Amino acid sequence: MTRHEGISRGERRRLLACLAFLGLILLWPIHSHAYAGPGAGFAVLSSFWTLFVAFLYSVYAFFVWPFRQLFRLVRRRKAYGKAQITRAVILGFDGMDPELTERFIAEGRLPNLARLRAQGSFRKLRTTYPAISPVAWSTFMTGVNPGKHNIYDFLGRDLTDYLPYLSSAEIKGPKRSWKIGKYTIPLGGPRIRGMRRGTPFWHWLGEAGIFCSVIRVPVTFPPEKFSGVLLSGMCVPDLKGSQGTFCLCTTRLSSDKFREGGVRVPIERNGSLCTSYIPGPEDPLTGGSGELRVEFEIQPCRIDGEARFKVDSQTFTLRVGSYSEWIPVKFKAGMGFNAHGICRFYLKELSPEVEVYVTPVNIDPGKPDLPISHPVTYAIYLAKLFGPYATLGLAEDTWALNEKVLDDQAFLAQCYANHDDRERMLFDALEKTQQGLCACVFDTTDRVQHMFWRYLDDDHPAARHVPRGERPNVIQDLYARMDELIGRVMKQIDDQTLLMVVSDHGFKSFNRCVNLNAWLHQNGYLALKPGKTESGDWFEDVDWPHTRAYTMGLNGLYLNLKGRERDGIIEAGADADALKEELRHKLDGLVDPSSGRIGITGVFDCDAVYAGPYVDNAPDLIVGYGDGFRASWDSVMGKVTSQIFEDNLKAWSGDHCIDPRLVPGVLFCNRQISDEKPAIVDVAPTVLKLFGLPLPKHLDGKPWTVGTSLGKPIASANAL
Amino acid sequence: MGSLGVNIPALVVVGISLVIGLAMVIVFGHTSDQKAIHVAKDRLKAHLLALRLFQDQIHVVLRSYGRIVMATGHYLRLAFKPLVFVIVPVTFLIVQVDRYLGSLPIPADHSFLIKVLMDNPDELNEASLRLPDGLATTAPPVHVPSDREVAWRVVAATAGDYMIKVQVSDQTFSKQVVVGSGLRRLSSVRLRGFWKRILVSSEPALPENKFIEAIEVQYPARNIAFVGMEWNWIWLFFILSLAAGFLFKSILGIEI
Repeated sequence: MTRHEGISRGERRRLLACLAFLGLILLWPIHSHAYAGPGAGFAVLSSFWTLFVAFLYSVYAFFVWPFRQLFRLVRRRKAYGKAQITRAVILGFDGMDPELTERFIAEGRLPNLARLRAQGSFRKLRTTYPAISPVAWSTFMTGVNPGKHNIYDFLGRDLTDYLPYLSSAEIKGPKRSWKIGKYTIPLGGPRIRGMRRGTPFWHWLGEAGIFCSVIRVPVTFPPEKFSGVLLSGMCVPDLKGSQGTFCLCTTRLSSDKFREGGVRVPIERNGSLCTSYIPGPEDPLTGGSGELRVEFEIQPCRIDGEARFKVDSQTFTLRVGSYSEWIPVKFKAGMGFNAHGICRFYLKELSPEVEVYVTPVNIDPGKPDLPISHPVTYAIYLAKLFGPYATLGLAEDTWALNEKVLDDQAFLAQCYANHDDRERMLFDALEKTQQGLCACVFDTTDRVQHMFWRYLDDDHPAARHVPRGERPNVIQDLYARMDELIGRVMKQIDDQTLLMVVSDHGFKSFNRCVNLNAWLHQNGYLALKPGKTESGDWFEDVDWPHTRAYTMGLNGLYLNLKGRERDGIIEAGADADALKEELRHKLDGLVDPSSGRIGITGVFDCDAVYAGPYVDNAPDLIVGYGDGFRASWDSVMGKVTSQIFEDNLKAWSGDHCIDPRLVPGVLFCNRQISDEKPAIVDVAPTVLKLFGLPLPKHLDGKPWTVGTSLGKPIASANAL
Repeated sequence: MGSLGVNIPALVVVGISLVIGLAMVIVFGHTSDQKAIHVAKDRLKAHLLALRLFQDQIHVVLRSYGRIVMATGHYLRLAFKPLVFVIVPVTFLIVQVDRYLGSLPIPADHSFLIKVLMDNPDELNEASLRLPDGLATTAPPVHVPSDREVAWRVVAATAGDYMIKVQVSDQTFSKQVVVGSGLRRLSSVRLRGFWKRILVSSEPALPENKFIEAIEVQYPARNIAFVGMEWNWIWLFFILSLAAGFLFKSILGIEI
């Protein structure tokens, strides 16, 4: 090589200077050099794949479009031919109370509801017997009384052993399994059976070709097939199969157990590193004899009050008093069996002790192990669009606040985080459902009122220590927030859209507990085994062969009927009727001796209030507690105590499981409604009729007379 | 094939692909906004699901198509950010590997072309080829004035590294020719200038303004036998490194 053919100094300088711009070279060199590793390759391939799939779908959609349009035209003509509206938007605010609403409207806190009332209607909405959410919302969607939809409470009772079960759904293991040594390999998925009967009105709408988006309406688990999309609400279990089991991981040694709803898990220290675990579902491979766990680490940071968490391969940092985002957790059972969940961590304390609250492990909506939506992809769609969200039916952890594991602020933060997710879902559904039905239920109103009524009540036992001037306006703020949401929805809809704001029941203070089992015991209707003065949970030590009546759950009173209950002693017929009458007579007007107030304002014979094929599953009597009273925590759990009346000292300080006449819900509508006493059972037939569909004969509700256009009075409108 | 019947080029490509796949996934993980990529991909999937879920809502379908395009663009923007970090080393690496795997040495007793690109088509007659022992022309030179090119067909009797010389006027320009087999570092062209030479040639630059722009030897392209097919190494590398990337991203939990 001759010298003049080599790289000169100038060239070397240019080489260094130009390295930074080498990327530009890729604009023209040979094709192979454009590939710069798997990162870019994946990006290109994934994008290409996405666009390719979208393109394929476009081609498919293009070719089938004429046929679908033709089909839709035929169906639409059928669907909307007699319809008075093209879209109905129903916002459900669980537990929104009409008296509070009126009060806050009068105070000027709810301008949008005031506008809605002025433009359309506001009524108290008669609720169900009993006034419990799963019962009322089941009636809302089916348009029938509980005797036809079979939901009477959160809990039902097993007639063979007097133990409770969840009334809305039954989850069992797979039908078949394969046993190999100590392992049991499930063959198939879990069996889920919905216990609610009756047909939701969106089924009829869907059948007529009217699209429906239904979000978190209670008692929609397991989801049923229909023409539309649905995300299940109240009664969806957590990954453990419970209705919500939180976990308190702590270095504090304690043998105390939470009354319900939570477990305590030790944190082990190893130097500065702390380790603990989240308890999960039972191991399916061991036949349920062991629980699966996900371990995690907590490493305090140098910055005071911060800690680094490591859960599987994920790491995140939390400050004391803050929540993590939803963290995916995978419970591995081996042999490819995994359960996918999500949970949030809340760092309570780092020094001197370490305490971490973990929410109940929700079913991961992005990888649902149980069906929580219809179609299954709808839950996934929402998770992909907005990120993970709470799927548990009772997602707001009221038990943790009751047990003082969470404080007020932490609980509220959790509630409103869930609420924000729900709002996003609602507005997406509104955008997607330009015609048809869009129904969304918000639980925040119920949970927050349950837990913060103590600050609204002048003399609530759970808040006597808080001076009136220092009480937060949680409920006022809650209503204002809901009002603001309604205002945003009103902006999204046009004049052809029917907007309804409904609640399933109202609210009252819960400051005194009534142990009805104690009353039954003291009045000779419920017997305990010899030598016992109190029972354990779920009727432990109850002498059934000498018991005539008992109560469990929130409002149901049961006779111990011969031939129905395992150890029943009351003959059906005249004896039973006489006993019911006797109990009604004695309980109605029961007075709380310490205050002189009436603890029970009504006892209702179920034979009189229910009708339908499932009345045999109903309680015999529904107990309507007075304003300020409710079944005691012990009584609900089938426990007999020595005291009939006692103060309610828990944060759960407001309730609605009382005399249904005292807690009607709300009905706002942007059209005028002529009926003066509408009931929640009327919603379904009203919507069906507004869409021009014939009403199924078995419905108990009656359609309201609704004005056909905004602001027009019934008289001048072409009323239905 | 190697002496023991081992497909050495394929092994080299597999090895490089695994190493590059792993390295690129790690670099991607550290240089990209993992959370943003995760969100962008999820949004993309959501819009695809919307097409199916709301297929009868024509406005939703149309809007979803638009959002898919937008989300794809956003995702591409996020995914290409790590390119800034890898483009220089990977480009150099590919260029260097291409020297070995892109072409085969010229087999002995096979003819091949030597082409010279001149500055001035009027000087094509002045170019002459001086071959070392072992190489011989098999035909007179062919002049292509329209392309400013003169070409010779040459054959090598035996394997070896040869240095051919092209003489124009009083200037001599050399170019390496490799005859034989196996994995050899090959440079098919000797060029002037800087930019193109960095990517194409591994030989020193030809002097500027001295009659000849390029001297090219046409080595046959190398095809690598792998899983019953003949591959250009770059395609094999593309697929294998992607596969390695898929494997390692799952193991390392990196979002791509």
